[in-house]
Amino acid sequence: MAGSHDYDYVEAGTVDVKDLPPLDSTTNKIMKDEFTTGLGLTVLYFIFIFSIPVMNWFAPDFAFKKIWGGMTVTWFVTTVVMMAMAFVIAYVHTTLYEKRLKKYEMTNK
Amino acid sequence: MIEALLEPKMLLTIALMGTIVYITYLTKRNTTASDFFVGGRSFGWFTNGSAIGGDYLSAATFLGIAGLTFQLGYDGAYYAFCFSIGLTLLAIFVAGPLRRFGAFTVADFLAYRFHSKRARLAAVLVVLAISGFYAAPQLLGAAQILSMFFGTSYEFGIIFTCIVMIFYVGIGGMKGTTINQALELWIRLGAFIVMLIAAMYGGLHYDKILTAIHSFSGPITGTSPYALDGSDVNFDGAAWTGTGFYFPTFWQTISMTIGLALGTIGLPHILLRFYTNPSAKAARKSALMAIGIASAFFLLAVYLGVVGRAIFISGSASEEIMRDLVLGGNNMVIPTTALALGGDWLLGLVIAGAFAAIFSNLSGLFITSSGALAHDLYATFMKKNITQKQRVIAGKVAIVILGVLYGALGLLVKDASIGHLVALAFTVAASTFTPIFILGIWWRGMTEKGAIAGLIIGLGVSMWMIFLPGTLPSFLQFKIPGIVTVPVGFLSVILVSLLDRKVPADVNDFMKRVHSKESETI
Repeated sequence: MAGSHDYDYVEAGTVDVKDLPPLDSTTNKIMKDEFTTGLGLTVLYFIFIFSIPVMNWFAPDFAFKKIWGGMTVTWFVTTVVMMAMAFVIAYVHTTLYEKRLKKYEMTNK
Repeated sequence: MIEALLEPKMLLTIALMGTIVYITYLTKRNTTASDFFVGGRSFGWFTNGSAIGGDYLSAATFLGIAGLTFQLGYDGAYYAFCFSIGLTLLAIFVAGPLRRFGAFTVADFLAYRFHSKRARLAAVLVVLAISGFYAAPQLLGAAQILSMFFGTSYEFGIIFTCIVMIFYVGIGGMKGTTINQALELWIRLGAFIVMLIAAMYGGLHYDKILTAIHSFSGPITGTSPYALDGSDVNFDGAAWTGTGFYFPTFWQTISMTIGLALGTIGLPHILLRFYTNPSAKAARKSALMAIGIASAFFLLAVYLGVVGRAIFISGSASEEIMRDLVLGGNNMVIPTTALALGGDWLLGLVIAGAFAAIFSNLSGLFITSSGALAHDLYATFMKKNITQKQRVIAGKVAIVILGVLYGALGLLVKDASIGHLVALAFTVAASTFTPIFILGIWWRGMTEKGAIAGLIIGLGVSMWMIFLPGTLPSFLQFKIPGIVTVPVGFLSVILVSLLDRKVPADVNDFMKRVHSKESETI
């Protein structure tokens, strides 16, 4: 399958999920590492994301407090801080991924 | 005639068109399907990152976000925040594995994950539905700009844009499309930065204009000649800067957040872009670059929407500006604000930027859907022993068919909001492809029947909740129904897979391929 990217259909058949052999240990470890990192960052990100509507609807005095001219806490967080947050989370994820990749290459050497 | 051609808006639009034609001409040599559909997988992270940004930052961002902020205030700005989330989630869960998988189209993923033509067919149906939802507002934006600033009819604008797109994508394929998208992104960003500088120079600082808007309440002078009822338009600044102006409940806000945040992972034209990278590492870097650019773009779009509102209520804008802001509706706030801030040259730059946004996004949609029609339908179901050359020809014919279909859809959405229509496309994507890609990449237990059920039920429920909300009880009527449709999509895949239990026998090989570091540069 590798290389050409122009696959032909191959009848692979199906198996009952309980008869499926376990993944090889290397792929299993890579998947676990990748998923744990991704999930951790996503949970952290979503805590920030959902804190905004929660703040707006359940703590409006704080959310709509003016911090800089007519700029309120929620306007600043929603339109400035969270834009930066999207990049920071992705940057941390890419950096951690590259570290794992380097470690993997070192081990293989 | 000559005078009209020398107007800045005309000169800059012609310059943009000329550049597109030149790039399309240079990249017209597409001999293999790989060249045509994925640009020969030859683009580095910078070009691809720019092209992903170009694809993602459509008319919805360039025109729609500022328009929604202008119209809805904080609730409009909240759209931008929700749009900004998705690319990050895509970079985390999907970008790398998808590139390692390779292939040409989004439907390829399902077809080869399950060795299933039925799954491919279901995927094609969803690709066409999402692309149609997404293409219609882009055409609406193009037709409104042509109508407002060049005096053409709405219908002419739709037809003209479709013809340009057929030429642009049909000849250039993915190579021409990628280079054009990358270039067009920087034109748009440049236009926004010049507008930012002009606004700052004019003393329209963020804190100051938000203060002025917040304290404004009552009729806006100078709007009565253009208002339908002949009286000045009323505006309540405090409600505009607060929440609940458009989304009246907490759950409406949460529903939109879910629909938009998860939508990007399921957008076929964005997913396709990751196939054009030379490696998975480059795919992640491309995504990171696109996220940085998109975040900056969203931030600027919201600010410029606030600037537009500040100009509108100031009472000092010219009659032409007041007329355009009332009659142009929220979709035309950016061009009108540009005219107010910098005159004809800035308007010209912004119009070129708007066309760049529209062409860039539409080209992505055309190439994705042409892949669905030519590669997934024609080459799989109708003509099995197809040559590379025939595939390219089939792709070009598909582009002409799509031009007609999208044009018809564009004619149907004349009075809609660009930003909101795109938000609905995000919701459909979040309820169909997002569960398929996340679960397909990370869960071995997903079955063919589960995937097909997820796509069909997710699509059906989304369409029902979007088009027939009146048939639902009031607690299920959402402006963006992500809170219902996304869990329904995920649960359909999971429950049907758990009941079915028949997974592909080679699923371990598939997992190894999409996750293994050894396939990093395949």
